[in-house]
Amino acid sequence: MPHTLDRRRLLATAALGGVVGATGLGSLAPEAAFAAEAPAVEPGAPDPNFVEGRISKISGHLLLVTGSDTVLHSIRITSGTSIWKLHPTTFDQVAIGDGLYARGVRLPDGTLAADSVWVNIVNLHAHITSVGRNVLHLDHQGRRIVAHVVPGRSAAVYNGTPAVSDLSLLRVGRHVQVLGAWHPDTNEISIATVYAAA
Amino acid sequence: MAALRGEMSWFCCGTAWGPCGTAGGGACGTCKSGNYQHAWPNTSDACFSITRPDSCGVSMSRRGCGFRHYTTNLCTGARVGTTIADCGPQTDLFCGETSCCGSACGSNRIIDLTPAAFSAIASLSNGLRPCSVDIV
Repeated sequence: MPHTLDRRRLLATAALGGVVGATGLGSLAPEAAFAAEAPAVEPGAPDPNFVEGRISKISGHLLLVTGSDTVLHSIRITSGTSIWKLHPTTFDQVAIGDGLYARGVRLPDGTLAADSVWVNIVNLHAHITSVGRNVLHLDHQGRRIVAHVVPGRSAAVYNGTPAVSDLSLLRVGRHVQVLGAWHPDTNEISIATVYAAA
Repeated sequence: MAALRGEMSWFCCGTAWGPCGTAGGGACGTCKSGNYQHAWPNTSDACFSITRPDSCGVSMSRRGCGFRHYTTNLCTGARVGTTIADCGPQTDLFCGETSCCGSACGSNRIIDLTPAAFSAIASLSNGLRPCSVDIV
C-alpha cells in the first residue's frame, strides 16, 4: 500500500522535526485521511493506531496519555496533525487533564505520530430534562449533564436537515444526540451539534 | 444479502473518561472504545424491543455478540470490519432521519461504531454519516 508507506514516512519525518505541512502530507484533514484506506485490523480487535485516555503531561510536542485501562501512551503532535477541541484548533489549546481520542501511525519507538486528535469529544445520547438560557439539562444514562450552548458554535440538526444555530425547537422530554466537548472533571459539556428527531 | 443502507454514529464503551465513564462493557460485556466493535439494533428479543427498527420500516436480521459486519462510509468509500459488542442504536427515536454527502444518503440509524472503528473511516467530529452495512 504505497499511500500507507508514504503517509508513515511523512508523519515520521514530521515527528522527527522535518518541515512538513498538512498539504505536504497529502492532506491529513480527517475525511481525506480516512478515505485512503482502513488499517488492517481484525474485526473485534484493538487498533494499535488508536489511543484513548487523559493527558498527564505535555512535553514539547509530545503528549503523555494515561489510557482509561491505565496503559501509558506517547503521542507526537506533528505539523500535519489535525486537532479538534469543540472546533478545529491548535496545539496550544490542549491542556493537561484533557481527555482524548487520537489516531495516527506508530513510530519505531512506539510513539503514535498523530493524524488526528479529538480532545474532550463526547457523543452522548440523552433526554432533555430542562431548557435554560444558553443551557440544556440532560439525562444521560441516569446522570445529569449540563450542556452549554456556545454562541457562534453550537448548532442543531433537526431530523437530518442542515445544521442551524437556532436551538429553540429543542423541547423537554425529547431524545437527542449531543456531540460536544467535555469540561474535564465536571458533568458539563459545550455543545457542538445537537441531533434531534423532528 | 444486499447491503443495508442507513446512518452510522459512534459511542464509547469499556473503561473511559468523562461522561463515558459509566458506559461499561455493553450488552455483550466485551465492548471497548479502542476495539473494532459496534452496536447492532437486533441482538436479542430484549434488544429489539428497545430499538424497534421495524417501526421505521427497517428490517434487520437477528445477530448475536461477535458477529462481523463491514461498514462503508458513503462519504468517502472507506470501510471497516467490526464485531457486535452491544445493543443499539435506538433506531426508533430518529425514524426517517436522513444524512447525506452530496447524493449519497442514508436514512435511519442502523449501526453505532466504537471510536476506534468510526475514526478509521470518518472523523469523530462528524457525529453522523450515511453508510452501508454488509456481512462480507
